[in-house]
Amino acid sequence: MSNDPIQDAESQDVELSDAQPETGGFARRSAMAAAAGGVAAAAAALFAGTRSGARPTVTAAGDTPAAPAARPAPVAVPAPALQAAPTEADLMIANLAAGLEILAVNTYGAALSAAGSGALGAVPPAVAEFVTVAQQQHQAALDAWNGVLTAAGKPAVSAPPSELEASVNAQFGQVTNAGGAAQLALMLEQVAADTYLGALSKLSSPAAINLAGSIYPIDRQHISVLLFALGMYPVPEVFGTTKMAYSGSGGMTAAMVPPTR
Amino acid sequence: MPIDDQAMRSLVEESEDLQVDALRDARQMNEELRDVGAARAGRPVDVDEAEAYALGRRKLLKAGGLGMGVLASSGLLATGWGQRVAAIVQAPAQAGVPVDIQIFQTASSLENLAVATYGAALQLPFIQENAVVKTFAETTMRQHAEHGAAFNAQTVSLGGARQDGTNPKYTPIVEAAKPTLTDAVAVAKLAATLEEVAADTYLANLSLLSDGNKRLLMGSVLGVETQHLATLRAVIALIEGGAPQLVAIPTDLAALPAAAGSVSFPAPFEEPQMASPPEEGAL
Repeated sequence: MSNDPIQDAESQDVELSDAQPETGGFARRSAMAAAAGGVAAAAAALFAGTRSGARPTVTAAGDTPAAPAARPAPVAVPAPALQAAPTEADLMIANLAAGLEILAVNTYGAALSAAGSGALGAVPPAVAEFVTVAQQQHQAALDAWNGVLTAAGKPAVSAPPSELEASVNAQFGQVTNAGGAAQLALMLEQVAADTYLGALSKLSSPAAINLAGSIYPIDRQHISVLLFALGMYPVPEVFGTTKMAYSGSGGMTAAMVPPTR
Repeated sequence: MPIDDQAMRSLVEESEDLQVDALRDARQMNEELRDVGAARAGRPVDVDEAEAYALGRRKLLKAGGLGMGVLASSGLLATGWGQRVAAIVQAPAQAGVPVDIQIFQTASSLENLAVATYGAALQLPFIQENAVVKTFAETTMRQHAEHGAAFNAQTVSLGGARQDGTNPKYTPIVEAAKPTLTDAVAVAKLAATLEEVAADTYLANLSLLSDGNKRLLMGSVLGVETQHLATLRAVIALIEGGAPQLVAIPTDLAALPAAAGSVSFPAPFEEPQMASPPEEGAL
């Protein structure tokens, strides 16, 4: 095993592909079904694709997603297929994703603190609103991934990737206004979105794919709003790319600068 | 509506540069996938694949009944458009056609409909008069055309037939809606619905596709559709909020209302509530 979770996941994918149907399928057993209570249950429900149409509710930064208050009446279908438990490779990617989410939560938190102290000058209300809600959404994503990890018997992630954190902190130290904060946020969102897109091709269990797939579009939407806020066209790419995906081994596939100039 | 034509031209040129880069990546991806497709061509229907698809579809139904919640909460269910969408029910998967091919054919049908719809919108005088909205419609139409081409290339690579038609379920709905398109908001709402259907369909497809490279293509388009949706949500909110002058680039950031910072992404997770089933646009 290397220090690169994505690379390790790829190698495990190869091993798994020999033992599993090509579809990745819906296995008949589930470790997720055993998860119960609090964040783990809500996250496990998300991960297992049994969200029942109810979105997790996040009321403030740091809050955990609430379990659905009411579930719809059962649908008359045959016995529900249990989701495949996440593979070890999936869990490595979950670990990576949780780390990136922590970095986003912390960076938006630092931006809110700086704005509150006046260090960023006048902050437009739309920017303050963006930072507040984006932080909540990244917290919800973090809780989901950590719920997946703990449900699988793994420890929750509590710290961002150290080398990436150091780079972001260094750049944040140079931010003096809302525009600079938005530029840094754009870079972070681009890294997260590109990483999720790359992960979609590496994940094995349908539930893991569904969770990554449900978070990735939100990060792309954050990007559009930031581009517009910075005076740029909000949808500049025809296809999403993985150019700025974080590999988990201390680097990204491209320089850590926004590709949108 | 204020617009800096030079700045807009520069932005569109930048966008086109990025499109060239993205298309190069997509072509490379398709070349890699062609080998996979050749290996799968002519393969008999995989029972496990069909079962996995059927289970996935039942989960979609269980997860929210294909957008009824969204339609109801937005008030659209009471409209003719909403009722027509609500009337769409899923049909069984077509026997004998690999699910991957059905998925890409249906995706192409949605892209073709989006191209046709934006094309029709561009004929409307109030769209032509608004430079920002017109530029968005033109650029988005081109992007959907590229998406459709990529999906069709993938279909052919897998041994399937190109889908050059528009989605059979939503085409009559769009046609019925056309007489009601009397202002930019009405057009934006119709476009937003189509973008959401496409995005939710591609999201639902992710775990139904048979390998990672196909998910990468589907995901790369999913992300862009959700960005179209985010932009349309902002445009609708600004116009309905009485601030159409703020639909402008360069952006008057200080003048934007607080809600403009979050109206584009109302939930922390996207859910496939309006997903079309894989066979909907299959040939």
